[in-house]
Amino acid sequence: MNKRNQDQLFSQLLQNDQVGKPDSGIEDRLMYSYLLKSRVSKLRQNSFSSYFGWLFSFQNIGLKAGLVSMVLFLSIMNNQLSIGPGSISGSDSLFTQRVLLADTTNFIQPLDSIRADSLN
Amino acid sequence: MIFRRKNKTFTDSELMQQIVSGDHAAFSELYNRYKDRMYYYFYRMLNNSPEHANDFLQELFMKIVEKPTSYNPTYAFHTWLYSVANNMCKNEYRRRNIRLEYQEQVASKPAIDFFNEKTIEPEQVIEKIFQTLDQLGEEHRSAFLLRYREEFSIREVAEILGLPEGTVKSRLFNARKILAEKLNYLKDEIEF
Repeated sequence: MNKRNQDQLFSQLLQNDQVGKPDSGIEDRLMYSYLLKSRVSKLRQNSFSSYFGWLFSFQNIGLKAGLVSMVLFLSIMNNQLSIGPGSISGSDSLFTQRVLLADTTNFIQPLDSIRADSLN
Repeated sequence: MIFRRKNKTFTDSELMQQIVSGDHAAFSELYNRYKDRMYYYFYRMLNNSPEHANDFLQELFMKIVEKPTSYNPTYAFHTWLYSVANNMCKNEYRRRNIRLEYQEQVASKPAIDFFNEKTIEPEQVIEKIFQTLDQLGEEHRSAFLLRYREEFSIREVAEILGLPEGTVKSRLFNARKILAEKLNYLKDEIEF
């Protein structure tokens, strides 16, 4: 019998060897123990100390800076794009609002009180 | 089992990480993945006793329940599990001197007459193999089981047993040599 045949023989014999199944009650007992254990460990998991520790440390500073920049950028862009409540974005051809320019060389009459149709 | 998963298949290491965070389904899946293999290992290592095999199987997984963080994810889970199981067997051998007890039991069993049997069943050959391995010692039996039943590589067997690869090869060589002598006359009679 050469080595290769021996290996095959022993592997085949042991692979086909059946010794029965473990007691099904073991799984139930283990699961019960695990449930009890995990309830105890859950109490420790509620601690935020590790999270705050990470938050106020210099770890992953690039990531944190990136996140803060992104939040700031989004909040600014959000304010720029939003339309305030009560303002009307449509134009009224009967009423023109002009901007007053403060210039001492020119006298510009404020036109916001003049009706546009009276100028025609 | 109510905690069984449905879709995704996780690796052993992933399941262990989930067990550490209290995932019941992960524990159930890991147990079902290894229970038969570990039961067989304990059965064959400990006197072919179903009671011992069940007790040790439960104790092994209780170790995971009690201290799942003892597993280092940088190593393969199956080698770690078998090394824990093997240490449990070694402790048991030391504590109860089970080898002597087993030899006494074997001596009391009616020996199979392989020369006079007309047909040799594979079960009888297995029994003969384990009788022979018992004479060699538990260290040979563990290496033999891990190599031929579990089909671990020599490197993995060495890792599990905490031995140099050369020692494992030497033990396997000795076991094969003696078993070949015992089983040589059977090779033509057994149909595989």
